[in-house]
Amino acid sequence: MRHVMRPAAFLAGGLLLFLSACELPPVDAVDLGFRGVGMQQVDNPRTLQDSMDAVAARVPQLAPTPDDFGEPAPPGTWENVQVLGHLSEAEFNRFMLAMTTWVAQETGQGCNYCHVIEDDGSVNFASDDIYTKVVSRRMIEMNQSLNVNFAADHIREGGINCWTCHQGQVLPNNYWFYSDGTRRDFDRYFVNEGTRQIERYYLDQRAVRVISPEALSGNTDNTSSIQDTEHLYWIMIQMSEGLGVNCTFCHTSARFSDWEQSPPSRVHALRGVNMVRYLNDEYMVPLQDAWPEERLGPMGDGPKIQCATCHNGAWIPQYGNPATRGETWPALTQIGTVHPSAPSETPAEGTPDQP
Amino acid sequence: MAEYQNLFTQVQVRHAPDPGLPIPDPHNRGELSVFSYWLGRIGDAQIGPVHLGWLGVLSLMTGGLSIVLMGLVMWSQVGWDPVQFVRLLPWLAVEPPSPEWGLRIPPLAEGGWWILCGGLLTAAILLWWARMYLRARALGMGTHVAWAFAAAIWLYLVLGFIRPLLMGSWSEAVPFGIFPHLDWTAAFSIRYGNLFYNPFHMLSIVFLYGSALLFAMHAATILAVAKMGGEREIDQITDRGTAAERSQLFWRWTMGFNATMESIHRWAWWFAVLTVITGGIGIVLTGTVVDNWYLWGQQHGLIPVYPEVWEAPIPAPLPGELDGPFHAPTPEGLPGVSSIAPGAWSSLPGTEVSVRFAAPLTSALEVTP
Repeated sequence: MRHVMRPAAFLAGGLLLFLSACELPPVDAVDLGFRGVGMQQVDNPRTLQDSMDAVAARVPQLAPTPDDFGEPAPPGTWENVQVLGHLSEAEFNRFMLAMTTWVAQETGQGCNYCHVIEDDGSVNFASDDIYTKVVSRRMIEMNQSLNVNFAADHIREGGINCWTCHQGQVLPNNYWFYSDGTRRDFDRYFVNEGTRQIERYYLDQRAVRVISPEALSGNTDNTSSIQDTEHLYWIMIQMSEGLGVNCTFCHTSARFSDWEQSPPSRVHALRGVNMVRYLNDEYMVPLQDAWPEERLGPMGDGPKIQCATCHNGAWIPQYGNPATRGETWPALTQIGTVHPSAPSETPAEGTPDQP
Repeated sequence: MAEYQNLFTQVQVRHAPDPGLPIPDPHNRGELSVFSYWLGRIGDAQIGPVHLGWLGVLSLMTGGLSIVLMGLVMWSQVGWDPVQFVRLLPWLAVEPPSPEWGLRIPPLAEGGWWILCGGLLTAAILLWWARMYLRARALGMGTHVAWAFAAAIWLYLVLGFIRPLLMGSWSEAVPFGIFPHLDWTAAFSIRYGNLFYNPFHMLSIVFLYGSALLFAMHAATILAVAKMGGEREIDQITDRGTAAERSQLFWRWTMGFNATMESIHRWAWWFAVLTVITGGIGIVLTGTVVDNWYLWGQQHGLIPVYPEVWEAPIPAPLPGELDGPFHAPTPEGLPGVSSIAPGAWSSLPGTEVSVRFAAPLTSALEVTP
């Protein structure tokens, strides 16, 4: 047997080395569609549990939700509050502190991340001198709009808050810039000509349909090339990795283009894509002039959103952890109003009273 | 000279190198022959004599040049960084020209390298084929090996030359690169509506898997009767002995039918050759005749209608949703960017075709104070 054992040992050793790049079992395959057609979601329960635990471990300690959110603060309570005028003073302060944790936790700067500290040590809350305050205001407006306007389309029940995407970081994960075409990223998405700048799908690239609606070539003028298809392929793979799901989470296995046979999640995802396009166009791109130099990409544009910015590899951001919900934060569950100034005791000549 | 070679033979005999048959073509045979113990464990321990000839020299030169050029092009893509070259090698590619070049010859950096590398590689393969053919003739053999190789070359030429010619664009061809050529197969199948519904693809798979099955059945049968001299198959064909009798009775016992000592090799040869011949037919029909194999299959009754299992009724995308809200952020376009690769994806004619760029919206950029 000795002459068999040695080659066998070599073979086994080589096989182990070869498999070292693979994931340890087990793997769960759950049928999402009709049996036997490969409509499966593949997950490793161990790594999935690990990521869920990691999400839960990051959840911050915040002030408890009050029983009553109170009445809007009387006019003149604050200066230069443009989108949170509907809050009581207590709720306003609770929200400000929460935001410090949600977004600026990693900086350790506290209020000073957005608010100016004067030379005498006092805090000038009204000042817009630090760019982060301008950006934060726009982001609060974005969050309000998401909870109010996209509840039916894409945002699940309970809504979202800053933590859903930021997770204590100033910049959420997986934001993107325009690429300057160099392979500076050394990322496989950027290796091939056709795979560069696929994130532009989330802002200014149109639909990516390449599959013909007719069986025969003579009956269609579809001129989509293989390169177009590879471009689409990488958009889809990036989305799939961003959500931690297989192709068949949204597509029917036999025919990717068919809406009628696709799982309902495909329309949900489509509306998510449209939502991201809207958010980039309405909220991220208009902040262009607010960003300081160090926040700009190689082409001089500011950071922008894609699916993975919020989803971070989970099909529901942070696996639907309650800490991601916006429902206990009145600051984010409605479109905010401007906080009115205090009515002047003796209005100046010709100046009408504040409404 | 008479040799008995068998996996059961643990003894390797060392002798003066065997120069081969004294056939009337002795030149160009090379003098160099060496012995390898480890090769002796799995085959003949003698390496050489190698017949190179001018076909072999030219083939190695063109093939070697092609591979070296591919490597250099890939290396240049990571800025000549040796570490990144090794790390990213599986993802690096020599891509064919983009669609707007059609069948014209682009500059080297825009697909010219692909044409050059592909041409050199094709030359190397064809020269190697001629070499196999001529060597077989020189030995007085049949030319079965050369024609089996030719079948593989048919598929290679369909993928990289014939089909691109018929489609009128080099961009339809396969890139050179480890993962990129696999990505090409995925993209090809997606673009043409799922290649699994291509009947020639089905046939090719049948012959491919069939080849493996026949290979296993034949090899196992011969090994099983090796101790009766079964691996001396030519002897058994002309002078059937107990090895042939037993192995053939074995298959008649177990499945009622047996291939003969001779015909099993025709089975294997045709299965192997038909794998690539049918595969090539399937590829050459894709995009030229059939644009969506799934729909083609549906029209020809290949595809069952599966019941829907979703709990909720499937919402249909609303009118306008498919193209989505869609904007360009500045009147000048994006900072420094006009399109991904100018011309490549920006002006494709046709219907619901792929990636397009919007006309800039002048009102979109209003910076919030």
